[in-house]
Amino acid sequence: MTKKYLRMTLNERFQHLNLFINFTILVITGFALSYSTAFWVSPISDLPLGMTFRGFLHRLCGVATVTLGGYHLLYLAFTARGRGIIKDMIPGLKDAKDLWETLKNNLYINRPAKELKMPRFNFREKLEYLGLIWGTIVMTVTGFILWFKTEWLQFFPMWTWDVARAIHFYEAILATLTIIVWHFYSVIFNPDVYPMSWAWITGNLTEHEMKEEHGLELEKIKAQEKGELKEFGEAAAVGGGRVYPLPVSRERPFSLRRLVGSVKDLNETMKDWKGV
Amino acid sequence: MRWREKGSKIWVVSRGILPLFLFLGLTAGVAWSDNSMCLGCHQDESLKKQDARGKSTSLFVSETGFKNSVHGSLSCSDCHTRIKDDAHAEGGKKAADRRVDCEVCHEKAAKEYQQGLHSKMIMKGTERAAYCNDCHGKHNILPSKDPKSMTNVANIAKTCERCHSDVEFVKAHALGAAIPKEEFKRSVHGQTGDVTCINCHGSHSLRSLIDPKSTIFRSNIPQTCGSCHSEITKEFIESVHGVLAARGRADSPTCTTCHGIHGIKAKIDPDSPVNERRIAKTTCPQCHAAERISKEYALTASQVKSYYDTFHGLSYRGGDTYSANCASCHGVHDIRSASDPKSMIYKDNLQKTCGSCHPGASENFAKGKMHSVASISGEDFGEKVVGWVRIVYILLIVGVIGGLTFFNFMDWLRRTIDRAH
Repeated sequence: MTKKYLRMTLNERFQHLNLFINFTILVITGFALSYSTAFWVSPISDLPLGMTFRGFLHRLCGVATVTLGGYHLLYLAFTARGRGIIKDMIPGLKDAKDLWETLKNNLYINRPAKELKMPRFNFREKLEYLGLIWGTIVMTVTGFILWFKTEWLQFFPMWTWDVARAIHFYEAILATLTIIVWHFYSVIFNPDVYPMSWAWITGNLTEHEMKEEHGLELEKIKAQEKGELKEFGEAAAVGGGRVYPLPVSRERPFSLRRLVGSVKDLNETMKDWKGV
Repeated sequence: MRWREKGSKIWVVSRGILPLFLFLGLTAGVAWSDNSMCLGCHQDESLKKQDARGKSTSLFVSETGFKNSVHGSLSCSDCHTRIKDDAHAEGGKKAADRRVDCEVCHEKAAKEYQQGLHSKMIMKGTERAAYCNDCHGKHNILPSKDPKSMTNVANIAKTCERCHSDVEFVKAHALGAAIPKEEFKRSVHGQTGDVTCINCHGSHSLRSLIDPKSTIFRSNIPQTCGSCHSEITKEFIESVHGVLAARGRADSPTCTTCHGIHGIKAKIDPDSPVNERRIAKTTCPQCHAAERISKEYALTASQVKSYYDTFHGLSYRGGDTYSANCASCHGVHDIRSASDPKSMIYKDNLQKTCGSCHPGASENFAKGKMHSVASISGEDFGEKVVGWVRIVYILLIVGVIGGLTFFNFMDWLRRTIDRAH
């Protein structure tokens, strides 16, 4: 069995699932308005009050997404792992170089192809994550303007509302296409991960995937593991909130001898225990 | 078949008595006042004559039918005034002038009829123009109140349809289009049972569509409909459509332009052109999205298109009936120009109009251009801004998505090639 590396904690997987569901519903209910006569809208528009329900659902999921965004900000700020994510997410010159070299590799300009070692979040992921933040901010602001038109139009002229509507529409196209072209390539259509990267369900990446996409991070973890062995106790904190290796031997078959041994060990420990 | 038995009896009797009466008639030289003389022959169902073209015409007269008719107490010769020629009766051989002049008694109706379209057709020699008897019947005329009468309110549609729903007849007489049978019966008017053809078309004085005195002449239609829907007509004739229609603008709508003609349906019927689901799809756009009309009246041709692009229009096209359609803001029968202070879209009334759906709409809410078309060369500042936003975003989308697609495609290609080796 190959070694696995935790990529997404359960909490993060739930955040991803939440965003996945809300984003999908937002895309469907949103474009169902823009293209209300399209064939695929008929399940909505044929329902009595279908379009009214569509609007309600769109706003509901919008609020859910904004709430999720708020939660994510708290998660980033108040957990060690979250702060680690921020630190590793800051784009640098290395990311631009990685992108450039990847392109050169892909176009066979680099011959032989340069082996790239990328950090915990490679340039693809940074681009996407930052794009997601940007898109969420734009969609939230314009979405609330569109929703609370009476309040907005007390202070601003009508054309600002029209601008908000145009931005909301085009940003939606941009966001949807980005997810399809960029995200779906990374996690589905990339030949090395096809049919799918299972990290969003299992939370783990394989060593091969780590090597391919996050070579630098893998080296770091391995060095740390060695360090952990050498200087036991000092670098014990689980990778400073970083990706950490999982214990390999989870699925050892049950043995009576081991159970008896464990109980003996426990008894020994308790015998010598002197209190806190 | 009682009359047949009775008839045959009389037939037998008449063989004997007829010559006697004939003799008496000749000697006396007076008109016969007893119908039995005529019915003696005309009771025979098989009595026929051949006209010049060889067409066979029945000369049968049902006695019971006649006796029960409104004219039952009259004698044959009261109407058939031209058959005084006693020679007719001699063996019944000689062709008689059987024309009847209803005018003698029904002077007023005849006068109206003379002005009407059906009599004009007679003058033009049309073959099957409507004479009195075409609508009223011949010997069996019943008073209009009688439910069996051809001119009873319940039967008039059927009476008219005999010719006007006949595709061949309509074609032969160049009447335009045949009215589909049952079309009127299924309409909201037909279903009341109180309204029928003559309520709009008139009866004896029925006139042509192109006759300015006609009830269905274009600019008279609001008055015709107003004979029942007076409040609506009052609203309509002051509206921008009503004013133009009264001035004879052929392309200005009247009642029938939006509501339909014979098959008018209730507003809640999904087939009705004024159903809220159709009003902004077909009814108003039939003119306001038409280039001919937009050009003639120098209207911006983009009202319908720009409406379809708004939130109102997009949601409406998806079937949302809460979303505003044309009538929500412009009104229904009393649509007025935006410069008319009574108009719903007059600048001082807009806040109220918007507020009917958007409670709390401020004064500022109602300002700004509604039917705006995003364009960098637009007149309105907002239109220009939205136009630029669109261009920037389209460039952004094409650039970003194009770049990402290219990058990923190359990535996919290399990985695929690498795996193949």
